[in-house]
Amino acid sequence: MSEDVRRVLYIQTNGVDEPERSATPFHLASAAASMDMEVGIYFTVNGPTLLKRGVAETISPKRNGGAPLTRFINQARECGVKFYVCTASLDLNDLKLEELIDGVELLGAAAFNDMAVEADQVISF
Amino acid sequence: MAVLDHVDQTLDCQGLLCPIPVVKTNKKIKEMAIGQTLLMLATDPGSMPDMTAWAKQTGQELVGSEQQGKLFKFYIRKAK
Repeated sequence: MSEDVRRVLYIQTNGVDEPERSATPFHLASAAASMDMEVGIYFTVNGPTLLKRGVAETISPKRNGGAPLTRFINQARECGVKFYVCTASLDLNDLKLEELIDGVELLGAAAFNDMAVEADQVISF
Repeated sequence: MAVLDHVDQTLDCQGLLCPIPVVKTNKKIKEMAIGQTLLMLATDPGSMPDMTAWAKQTGQELVGSEQQGKLFKFYIRKAK
């Protein structure tokens, strides 16, 4: 319709302790990016634990034999979804950026709020 | 909606679940030329509202669709 790019920002607060809540933001973000929207996921509170290298292979949103979270992450990536991590939440989870999967950008509180007000929609999980 | 008898390309998404048909359709349409028509086949039960929303947001033209049992057929013209 419009030539203006629409922006959607998802917020993932859930981490490895709640695997059934791990995949949905990646899933919705993949669809949004495939609708030519500019899409990001901001990982805060426990969300950064999903991005620790080696973790996504070991968890699945479906308890009995579902696809690993890695599949959802890779799909979002291939669709062009950007991943941002809250600097304070890295510390909260005793993580460092180097321990996360590649391609995650650090985003502080001011930068996050700027991104949020510029987005057409912010959706929190 | 009218159903076309001429298509330039076909994309088979039967058996694939949401959001894969949308993801694959968007990739495929980007490889095609403006004015060409894509036939996309899907069995995902939510694909009718999904493809309608996809076309609305991307500006591509859903020129026709039909349902045969569990099979959905979408005719999409690359408009831009």
